Amino acid sequence: MEIKKILLTENKRWILGSAFVAILLILPILFLLTGLYALEKTSLSYLWETLLLDYTFNTFYLIIITAFFSLLFGIFPAWYISNYKFKGRFLFDLALYLPLAIPSYIMAFTYSDILSFTGPIQSFLRANFYQASLFFNRDYLQIEILGVILALALYPYIYTASRVSFTLLGSNYINVAKNLGLSSINTFYKIIIPLSRPAIFSGLFLVLMEVLNEYGAVKYFGINTYTTGIFRAWFSMNDVGAAIQLSVIMLIVVFTFFYIEKYISSKTRYYYKINTQIQKLSKLTFKNKIVVYLVCSIPFLFGFLIPFLFIVNNVLTTYHLVNIKDLTDLTFNSVIVSTISSALIIIFALFFLFIEKISKTRLNYYISQSISLGYAIPGAVIGLGLIIMFTSIKNIFSSFSLLGTFTLLIYAYIIRFLAVGKAPIKSSIEKQPDSYDDTAKNLGLSPFMLLKKIHLPINKFALITAFIVTFIDLMKELPITLILRPFNFDTLATQTYEFAIEEMIPLSSIYSLSIILIGSILLLILKNILNKQIDVS
Amino acid sequence: MKKLFYLLLYTVLLGCSPNKNSKEVNLYSQRHYAVDKLQYENFQKLTGIKVNVIKANADELIERLKNEGEDSPADLFVTVDAGKLYRASKMGLLQKISNKIIDTNVSPDLKDKNGYWIPITYRARILVYSNQRVEKNDLSTYEELVDEKWKGRILARSSSNAYNQALMSSIVANLGSDLASSWSKGIVRNFARDPKGSDRDQVKAIAAGQGDIAIVNSYYIGLLLSSEKEEELNAGKSVTVFFPNQAENERGSHINVSGIGLAKYSPNKENAIKLMEYLTSEEAQNTYVNNSYEYPANPNVTPSEIVQSWGTFKRDTLDLNMLGKYRDEAIRIFDKTGWK
Repeated sequence: MEIKKILLTENKRWILGSAFVAILLILPILFLLTGLYALEKTSLSYLWETLLLDYTFNTFYLIIITAFFSLLFGIFPAWYISNYKFKGRFLFDLALYLPLAIPSYIMAFTYSDILSFTGPIQSFLRANFYQASLFFNRDYLQIEILGVILALALYPYIYTASRVSFTLLGSNYINVAKNLGLSSINTFYKIIIPLSRPAIFSGLFLVLMEVLNEYGAVKYFGINTYTTGIFRAWFSMNDVGAAIQLSVIMLIVVFTFFYIEKYISSKTRYYYKINTQIQKLSKLTFKNKIVVYLVCSIPFLFGFLIPFLFIVNNVLTTYHLVNIKDLTDLTFNSVIVSTISSALIIIFALFFLFIEKISKTRLNYYISQSISLGYAIPGAVIGLGLIIMFTSIKNIFSSFSLLGTFTLLIYAYIIRFLAVGKAPIKSSIEKQPDSYDDTAKNLGLSPFMLLKKIHLPINKFALITAFIVTFIDLMKELPITLILRPFNFDTLATQTYEFAIEEMIPLSSIYSLSIILIGSILLLILKNILNKQIDVS
Repeated sequence: MKKLFYLLLYTVLLGCSPNKNSKEVNLYSQRHYAVDKLQYENFQKLTGIKVNVIKANADELIERLKNEGEDSPADLFVTVDAGKLYRASKMGLLQKISNKIIDTNVSPDLKDKNGYWIPITYRARILVYSNQRVEKNDLSTYEELVDEKWKGRILARSSSNAYNQALMSSIVANLGSDLASSWSKGIVRNFARDPKGSDRDQVKAIAAGQGDIAIVNSYYIGLLLSSEKEEELNAGKSVTVFFPNQAENERGSHINVSGIGLAKYSPNKENAIKLMEYLTSEEAQNTYVNNSYEYPANPNVTPSEIVQSWGTFKRDTLDLNMLGKYRDEAIRIFDKTGWK
């Protein structure tokens, strides 16, 4: 049926094209899974006997803590900023995005330094308030603390999603709810949260993917998760089987999570009308103002300002050791590679989403889902998958080798980050009514012209958003770059990492600061765009 | 759009074009210190040979070498762990080197008995103890750390760390699996806290009073003692370095080398050997010790002042290949005895 349908449609060339590209993108993952047949039973039983329980517990515990705190740090400020008027509202709205510019491993290293026995807080207390310093002299490398730190680095995903959603919902619902006598708290929990759930969930999904894939920070905190387990099995024990088994378990976790949400959404479907009135922001009483300021400043303060100042301070103490030429070279490398890769990623994302929209076949739905798979797999695993795949190809066509080239590096980036670039474009495309496509078709526009004349312009903002979000993620990317990079190629992220793992955090600061500054500038641009989008509707 | 396309095409082509310059040597390196860059620059000035480097974790580089096979551009494989060199040699990724200059440059007990790799520097995995709460005489050997009196006082980082894995491998090699297992159990029982953080964090934890003895790498203690931050220096000064297993009848302290193997399909073999000769020479060995806290493989060179201040010590003369041979067993022991 399905095949017949595809062959009958006028878009069949596009559909087949998208299927072909999708295969290229998931091939390395399939190559890995072929490793499953070569499994030794001993790996699995060894894992069961020793570590699996520990890995599973840690992974889920860390996910729960991070999820809880990133929801807390993300939703409430978004709610207040979307609906209330207070001084500094605009600034908070900008500032709350900024933690996204700080790579989570840098956040973790920085905080463990700040909190440590030789860090500024404990040193200050020891010098001035000895008794208090005894109380604060603790072991801060705990899973709970890591969860909060990761939440501070990742909550902007939820903030962004809920901020847009809350604004789009707007005052209609709130007014109706108030007229019906619901208190503000009840309105928030009974009306706004359920209506915004898909948006919040899309943000939460990104947070969880990041936590699942986190390697540097969890290793430093001595917490064994599935990802550290994959590395340990594969690299330290040379047990590819166990590594693949763990990857598969991780994928199952992701799918479960994904489908639970799907199931719930399908059972309770909300249709809501987007706000059309100019939204009136409510004023706050004095008491509420304090709450609002606290809620809005805590995530910014701890998620950005404190680590940022700490890093700046490190830079100031080590600036005489910085090689300016290295710094500019690395910045150039990071920017160029991230630009090219993000551009390709949004082209691919738009391509797939556009075909999904015009074709409406099940095949394209699955294609569109499966190309996001890469985001659920640790970068190093994708890197190795590609190496294995290209080795097999080389064995067939002997002269063809991409190993050690930028092409392969960018290929890997696309696989890993397509999902990131896809999300904003998807939500924008879904908002466009089908009537645009139908009208265009009736007017005789070819699919390519439809893409060029209609979808490119109307999704312009989404495309720029997607570009920026992907770019920032790529600037922070580490494991793929390490494993697939060509000779003499360093980025800001790899240099930061190399100093950090050698316990030379101050020397790494100038490089992490560059990542943060470039990211922050882009985030400010992004914020501007999002504001425009919100205004438009 | 068109411009973008050409830009992409350009990168693709640039990425594919093989670099056929014979005045060069290609390194896959686990080392990524400032001193290495300096060495390669000096080498180029001296010989005109350009050193190209890909830096990543040793295991990932091994995986890359293995998959690239005959087409690999790598000439040299550089690690900070003899175990990884052993593994690479066992996987057939290295070729034997016999070179008189290198042979005379390095200490005989640091060399590979099978001739597949050469040492450039070494580090010791030693103990540091709290000046306030531990007497030097209380300490003697690694094995003694399982004693009841150290309960709740020992600090170490996680078992995913390659240096801990190498230490455990040396214990398996010296004492056998059973004794190594019970040693690991004893250490876990005596831990002050779950293993975590870096080596530097273990020292800080002693300064903070969270534990009294830490198992650390000499290299990181050197780094800590040269920190620009006063508080960190104070933490460093609150502990003393102790070399275990030094008594007459003991085997010596565990060491591990940073070394280089010649890739089996090295395309620039001559240049590669020149680089190895250079890196073991007195000139380059002096560059190492002046810019890092490693011990030189060349016995004619003395380590940095900080390192010298700890005194000399007896090295465990175990064949360093054993650090690789018993690696899997070591990790199993960690897993089974709950050393996280």
